[in-house]
Amino acid sequence: MSLFKARDWWSTILGEKEEFDQGCLCVADVDNSGSGQDKIIVGSYMGYLRIFNPHPVKPGDGVQPEDLLLEVQLREPILQVEVGKFVSGTEGLHLAVLHCRKLCVYAVSGTLGNVEHGNQYQIKLMYEHNLQRTACNMTYGPFGGVKGRDLICIQSMDGMLMLFEQESYAFGRFLPGFLLPGPLTYSSRTDSFITVSSCRQVESYKYQVLAFATDADERQEAEQQKRSSGKRLAVDWVLNIGEQALDIRVVCFDQAVSSVFVLGERNFFCLKDNGQIRFMKKLDYSPSCFIPYCSVKEGTINTLVGNHNKILNVYQDVTLKWAAQLPHIPVSVKVANLQDLQGVIVTLSDDGHLQCSYLGTDPSVFQAPRVESREINYEEYDAEMKELQKIIKEATITQDILPKPEKHRDLVVTAEVSPNLDAESQAIDSEVKAEAVPSVTVKITIQSRVTAQKPNLAVCVQAPLAVTCDQFFFDDLEPDSSETVVLSVFLKGNCSPSELEGNCFVSYDIATGIPKVAQCNFKLPLQLICSPAQPSKAANHKLTIDTNKPPVSFLTIFSDFVDPSEEDQANVLGFQFLTGSKTTLLASKTSQRYRIQSDQLEDLWLITKELTLRLEEHFKKQNCKDFACTFSGSIPLQEYFELIDRHFELRLNAEKFQELLSERAVQFRAIERRLLTRFKDKTPAPLQHLDTLLEGTFREVIALADAAEENQANMFQAFTKLKSATHLVIMLISLWQKLSTDQVAILEATFLPLAEDTQELGWEETVDAAVSYLLRTCLSKSSKEQALTLSSQLSMPKDTSRLKKNITLFCDRLAKGGRLSLSTDSATQQAAVIPGGCTTIPESDLEERIVIPGSTPTLPNQGKITKQKSKP
Amino acid sequence: PRRSRGPGPAGAMGPELEPLLQAWSYFRRRKFGQCSELCSQLLKRPPAEQVAASTLQAFYVILIQAAWSLKTRALTEMVYVDEIDIDEEGIAEMMLDENAIAQVARPGTSLKLPGTSQGGGPSPAVRPVTQSGRPITGFVRPSTQSGRPSTMEQAIKTPRTGLTARPITSASGRYGRLGTASMITNPDGPFINLSRLNLAKYAQKPKLAKALFEYIFHHENDVKNALDLAALATEHAQFKDWWWKVQIGKCYYRLGLYREAEKQFKSALKQQDMVDTILYLAKVYLRLDQPVTALNVFKQGLDRFPGEVTLICGIARIYEEMNNISLAAEHYKDVLKQDNTHVEAIACIGSNHFYSDQPEMALRFYRRLLQMGVHNCQLFNNLGLCCFYAQQYDMTLSSFERALFLAENEEETADVWYNLGHVAVGIGDLNLAYQCFKLTLVNNNDYAEAYNNLAVLEMQKGHIEQARALLQTASSLAPHLYEPHFNFAILSEKVGDLQRSYTAAQKSEEAFPGHVDTQQLIQQLKEHFAML
Repeated sequence: MSLFKARDWWSTILGEKEEFDQGCLCVADVDNSGSGQDKIIVGSYMGYLRIFNPHPVKPGDGVQPEDLLLEVQLREPILQVEVGKFVSGTEGLHLAVLHCRKLCVYAVSGTLGNVEHGNQYQIKLMYEHNLQRTACNMTYGPFGGVKGRDLICIQSMDGMLMLFEQESYAFGRFLPGFLLPGPLTYSSRTDSFITVSSCRQVESYKYQVLAFATDADERQEAEQQKRSSGKRLAVDWVLNIGEQALDIRVVCFDQAVSSVFVLGERNFFCLKDNGQIRFMKKLDYSPSCFIPYCSVKEGTINTLVGNHNKILNVYQDVTLKWAAQLPHIPVSVKVANLQDLQGVIVTLSDDGHLQCSYLGTDPSVFQAPRVESREINYEEYDAEMKELQKIIKEATITQDILPKPEKHRDLVVTAEVSPNLDAESQAIDSEVKAEAVPSVTVKITIQSRVTAQKPNLAVCVQAPLAVTCDQFFFDDLEPDSSETVVLSVFLKGNCSPSELEGNCFVSYDIATGIPKVAQCNFKLPLQLICSPAQPSKAANHKLTIDTNKPPVSFLTIFSDFVDPSEEDQANVLGFQFLTGSKTTLLASKTSQRYRIQSDQLEDLWLITKELTLRLEEHFKKQNCKDFACTFSGSIPLQEYFELIDRHFELRLNAEKFQELLSERAVQFRAIERRLLTRFKDKTPAPLQHLDTLLEGTFREVIALADAAEENQANMFQAFTKLKSATHLVIMLISLWQKLSTDQVAILEATFLPLAEDTQELGWEETVDAAVSYLLRTCLSKSSKEQALTLSSQLSMPKDTSRLKKNITLFCDRLAKGGRLSLSTDSATQQAAVIPGGCTTIPESDLEERIVIPGSTPTLPNQGKITKQKSKP
Repeated sequence: PRRSRGPGPAGAMGPELEPLLQAWSYFRRRKFGQCSELCSQLLKRPPAEQVAASTLQAFYVILIQAAWSLKTRALTEMVYVDEIDIDEEGIAEMMLDENAIAQVARPGTSLKLPGTSQGGGPSPAVRPVTQSGRPITGFVRPSTQSGRPSTMEQAIKTPRTGLTARPITSASGRYGRLGTASMITNPDGPFINLSRLNLAKYAQKPKLAKALFEYIFHHENDVKNALDLAALATEHAQFKDWWWKVQIGKCYYRLGLYREAEKQFKSALKQQDMVDTILYLAKVYLRLDQPVTALNVFKQGLDRFPGEVTLICGIARIYEEMNNISLAAEHYKDVLKQDNTHVEAIACIGSNHFYSDQPEMALRFYRRLLQMGVHNCQLFNNLGLCCFYAQQYDMTLSSFERALFLAENEEETADVWYNLGHVAVGIGDLNLAYQCFKLTLVNNNDYAEAYNNLAVLEMQKGHIEQARALLQTASSLAPHLYEPHFNFAILSEKVGDLQRSYTAAQKSEEAFPGHVDTQQLIQQLKEHFAML
């Protein structure tokens, strides 16, 4: 991230598809013009050597033909170019070019022409060395303190330093512990070579030490195989920097102490001569090249660091002084004096973009892309806005949170239960112990009038009933198309269901993406769970239903259960449930009564319901409208309470199991923690049978969980029975008191909450709350009772006595003529009751607007500044 | 193309480099794909071609090792993410924290109690807070959402939206994705088969071991093997190589053995002062919830490396987390003195100015970011808000327009619409505000603040039921905000439901203890109850 960009003074693109790297750029007065004017020398991996002398007429000019002094193609890749006093007998600057297997030193000279473009430059090979090994990079300097000439040291890819005293080869030395070459430089002050080895250390080798060590070539002959076993080259100093380095530079300016700069992959180091860190800086980018140069401030050194974000940073020691945007990623950066302009920054990218630039306050030309903007036609916009406002208003006026009631169904789902049981039972995994578990086929049809996307059909029946497949996914439905699926219902759990009904839902998206749901219910036949059997005379529980019409023969109403040949079954009928229990139905021959009897209270329910339904149906067919059933006996509350107690006891058990489980789990975790500390300990202590304890606890936890699961299964059965009995009680109450359908609905809502029966919120407390609410409101005797406050939270009661008392009281009050109704006089209502029917006041009713004076609700004054995510 | 070894004749394609040299050059230029490909070719080549004579056997071994090492490094660099910046705390780590020293820390010594502000940080009434009760920061960092719920239940019950969900343990979390490539299937199978490595052998070779360690740690994300290797290597180095100690510390940190990591880092620092080691050590202390110690570590580090930006920035972050906003701002300014292109510092100072009622100053900082080339939705959003509060209305809408244009996902769009809603409230166009908040919810259904504001608008229209429902939604989505609770309390009080009003007011007080209006309301309610 930079505010400004580097100002282009002169730039060019070299060649086509050529590659350049760190060593390929050099800046020096290579033709010894004596004017102090630097030339730019660039070599490429393709073997081209070019020398430039940029002199733009004005900054930013393109390249002129005469800027390029020389271009030659050498036959080999150029790895590095350096300029120094490489030829003996003269102090003139010569150009050293490093190829993979060759080092060449050239003299560059120019002949002046009459006009500027007539100048001619040529290179002349002074000497060359063929190398035994593949070279990698080189450094030069007055090794050993020689005056007036530069020696060359080449590092090979396999770690040999080859030293050349100008025209002659001096010696070669292997670096110890070498793997991959690192950057190499020579420090004239300490007369040593500094490199970064593969062990991620900065290593310094004295030239003296190198010179007197075993010669690499001799050693190689002596011990060809074991290179490393020779006498180790003694290292002057080592500094572990923990990362690989990109480049090393030694600076020695007048005003600053001599330092070694190392550009690592993640940090930037400045070392003293003895290898101690003077300072370091953690870089938050990937650097690509750097060059330290002199500073204006006493005792500090400025450094240019280029990075892969195309930014050139200028540091004064560790302080960032300037950041400039470059047009390319630099692989090499130099500072040069060009055309009387001091301190021109020369950068080279790896694809040959060569640029001379200077720093300036030219803003980095970042231009935010334009937002698509149109000519604004206010009239049109106003019209469109009005249109939209209208739509919005219409949408909001019909309360957008609640869905609109649908006038016609776009998608209809119908379920058809086949009248006969399946010839071959489809039941799978049934837990019922009967020899054959019947099943019945249900055919579900979806008809769509519109396009329904991704319709999804779910079929559900109350456990212990089950279906063979409860989920169906379809492809998108076309308008006026339909889908049909077939499935079977059977009894799965080993107890009788509380209702013989099922429902199916279809969820789908209409074309505009709005999700919708359609549903339907279906009724299952009684044969699914019971079969005809021999009637039994004796039974524990008996119910008598009175009617106002003469008795009907079972041959007509229970034709599917009675064999017509057996005449005696006309008024006696036995039912055998799949789960094993029996129920008998008797019709009085003389009076208008029916008797249902069974050993279990809950088994009466389904038969009683079936009987009343079939009787009603029968009389409806005969166009007899005043048929009515009544019940005059006492409600079997005592038996009902037994079922409640049974269920409650199991709930208590479940709670106990839960407590035990959590206790064991805590114990388990405690042991685990102890074990963990034991294992983490530096000095391992004996386990002291903690592992046995862990194992034991684990088993206990598993056993407890098994027991809890079993209890849960029992509880489920008990709850199903309780539900059946509750249905029966509700029915009896309604027959007994001749309640209207509205009142029956209230009764059902009271006794059969929709909520699942769970440990936290169970049937008992929910029903207790509902019953006591009714007792306090519509069934209350005096206004004193109404004042009783509701406990705000439902929790599991300690026992069921209060519930039983309330239910008994409830029956009493009903018997005394209480009327079930929710719309009681609101004046006596408690304020705590939430106003029902949450229709909101429409917007037009301005008079009813509630003004909240004074302390208006505060808007959270958070101009929420969202977080910056940008990374530099 | 055929590559010849050594200097071949200059073909039509021009001269070619030796492959290893070329690979090495690619690596230096960060062209890792090409580098790794070249190395693979080198490694695949049958020995016969390489070894012309038996005398070159030794060279061949070296060459293969070099290529192997280079490829290892290239693969690592491709996926490298600085370990210091990675921080993630799973629920299990938070709740089964066995390093906690005190259950109830003293004020100002822990990051667990966000409410203890001494530096005069802005109140939640001015500056919104995050779920953990810290003021919102100006810069998203991996650790900015770290708030420690106090119980396991709360941790699990915290609304787990797409933005706040945290993994059960960090082992299963982002480490698997951040900076590792272990999931990327390689058609040729993994480059290095860890199970077949003889770690002890490699530990003897320091030049290979370091690259191999980084590969195992960053690329394979196999902390256990990495630790084994590091342990062997540090032993081989006779415990004299600080680098290995730091690596062991890193492994321990990942494994949750903070005290052990601390030991390693301290020992490494004794040998060699390094910025990274200091940062790691401070990170350990932060994880151990000892911000004061971490501050000391940073300050000692600054004595050694004066002006190191990462250290100053670390200090600033800690102060910010400890609600000491003024000190944090001071240190962010120090950061800018050292590095004036530091985006995090600029953003944080900008947001500080914004929340301390100096939108004009904030505007300047955000404009600076814009000039520096930061170009995203958040920035334009902030610019739009600053312009609005600095009364430069002409720029406000166009800034928001750009922000919407740049929004990358629905959450960002929701943020912009929410702020537009604020602007609309500010200029009194309640209809527009209503639509804006609705659009916010369309884009992000979990936006509690928008629910709250929508509720206020509904309340003004007189739709009590809807307002109530919206407020309840808001408070269940973001229990840490006090506004929904307070608004609910007021609403309930107005309709006469004193009990609910009282409970809501208490929740509001819990979320923001210093809120005067809440206190007054509670007082008023208590008087009511006393009268009854």
